[in-house]
Amino acid sequence: MWVRFFVVILCLAAWPCSAKAQVRGDIIGPGMPKYPMAVSPLKNTGASGDAGKISEGIADAIVYDLDLSGWFRVIDRAAYIEHPQRSGDTLGSFDFKDWSTIGAVGLVKGRFSVVGEDVNVELRLFDVSQAKEVIGKRYVGRTRDFRRIAHKFADEIIKQFTGEQGIFNTRIAYVSTSGGRFKEIHISHLDGSEKFQVTNNRTINLSPTWTPDGRSILYTSFKDRSPGLYLFELYSGKEARWSPPAGRYLGGKVSPDGQWAVVTAETAGNSNLYLLDRNGTMVRRLTSDTGIEVSPSWSPDGRQIVFVSNRSGSPQLYVLELANGTSRRLTYSGGYNTSPEWSPKGDRIAYTGRVGGRFAIFTIGLDGGEPRKLTAESSDSEDPTWSPDGRFIAFSSNRGGRYHLYVMQASGENQRRLTGSGGDDTKPNWSPRLD
Amino acid sequence: MIVEFGVARCAIMIAVLALVLSGCAPSSTMTPDSMPPSGSALPMDTGGPRAGEGARGGARESQAPSGGSLRELQEGKSTATQPSSPLKDLYFDFDRYDLRADARETLRANATWLQNNASVRVEIEGHCDERGTSEYNLALGAKRAQSAKDYLVSLGISGERLSTISYGEEIPTCKEPNEQCWRQNRRARFVILASRPAS
Repeated sequence: MWVRFFVVILCLAAWPCSAKAQVRGDIIGPGMPKYPMAVSPLKNTGASGDAGKISEGIADAIVYDLDLSGWFRVIDRAAYIEHPQRSGDTLGSFDFKDWSTIGAVGLVKGRFSVVGEDVNVELRLFDVSQAKEVIGKRYVGRTRDFRRIAHKFADEIIKQFTGEQGIFNTRIAYVSTSGGRFKEIHISHLDGSEKFQVTNNRTINLSPTWTPDGRSILYTSFKDRSPGLYLFELYSGKEARWSPPAGRYLGGKVSPDGQWAVVTAETAGNSNLYLLDRNGTMVRRLTSDTGIEVSPSWSPDGRQIVFVSNRSGSPQLYVLELANGTSRRLTYSGGYNTSPEWSPKGDRIAYTGRVGGRFAIFTIGLDGGEPRKLTAESSDSEDPTWSPDGRFIAFSSNRGGRYHLYVMQASGENQRRLTGSGGDDTKPNWSPRLD
Repeated sequence: MIVEFGVARCAIMIAVLALVLSGCAPSSTMTPDSMPPSGSALPMDTGGPRAGEGARGGARESQAPSGGSLRELQEGKSTATQPSSPLKDLYFDFDRYDLRADARETLRANATWLQNNASVRVEIEGHCDERGTSEYNLALGAKRAQSAKDYLVSLGISGERLSTISYGEEIPTCKEPNEQCWRQNRRARFVILASRPAS
């Protein structure tokens, strides 16, 4: 089961600040060539063997993250010259020339030792051309959680290069058929590890969404025949019906401050948006159209909702101002626009738009303007969800046959497949930053 | 528990240390600024989804049809309406819930049967093809079921006998990604509920 983690950070002796000069800032970004990195397997400095395959496991997880970010080109391990167990991981204990000759500009090295059920890990980022150490970190954790240590360090690398912490310790909640006829909610790490099945009720479960504290998943289920919203608490394993007892609820999203939810409820054929408090008690109705009003997403400041309405004759995106209840239309291109998701940066909305009979992911600015198409319409890409730093978008696509989850930069570059289950994986929802 | 040491940025560390020492887990405490005002100019409708409709629907739903797409899905049976069923499916155009001429014809035939079997209650299911997003399709399916119900009511069938539910794109009868299949999935389906003696 899930165990809480916390990070205790101690400030040690001042780190040489000048070492940061070369490896940061404007070296990576849109249109820039990928930064060449080498990630060495870790040196085992402990007494026991590496039955858990930590040496390569941590390196593999860091490589996965760096590749996923789209900003780095990781040099293939097959090209590495030195043997990780026979050379050192600290300045002076290895030869930078072994790395510059294979084209590495950045280098990750480290060590680990297993003591009982724990593993001690040290990881370092070096600037190869300057022969300097840039980041040094020490971690202690459960051996089985070694990947989380790798993701934490990858987050630090991203922070070093961009000024903003990475998102590699986050998770995706999604719907999977797992090859069967039911749709259940699952969670996994970005790299596919630590898969956890949230529902197992042998029915249709949809639209999982994380609460902002990262502790629960809200989702729609037909388990009681009539669709309702359920809240699953990850740390206790408890699940409870969350939406009011009467009525049919098609989906819902919790506000960024965790105090409210906007839900879609249907009565007599009409679907509208309602505001509920954190206990699932109805506060007020937000839309009163006789058409279809669905799929709300909160602005990061909690003052606005973007949603889908067909009041103009086709599904389009609208923005509702909670303070005064006014709505304005946002999308005018395309005849079918749905699944809006507000970027955590606040400036853009990602959504699914129908183009040429297929579905593609678009983003549009809050000031309107031309939408940007991010995926090709040679196949269907749907259900966008933003990373908590607003720099990546995960989505579902059938470009590989069945529906799988993919991730890309918010610009549409570096599209990478995330999942490969035996069924259809859809409706991803990206967690907030977790510890 | 992951413990991390030795960092390059002291200022951030002190802030994080303070957070940890204060015993704060990522919390969901409310910041007053972001609370939507309660006394707004919106027409207040604190009833939410009409209790009447929900309650009536709830009473009927607990009756649990012996068939129906969800039950059939759970039992691993075909979710297609049997050819022997007296009540036929009707079909819709993409993203539409208005009734075509052929749909009205089907409904008139269904209405006749319902008039001749006055004790029978039915659940009308609304379905969509797989294209588009599931939440929108749940709403669209609800519209389709309601369109069928409204027309039957206009033909004299008592609304009390007709409940509705939408399964959106979730329970299709066929799964090929082509128009032939999609056309079959854009439907309203009638499920006969276990009949009760007229009260």
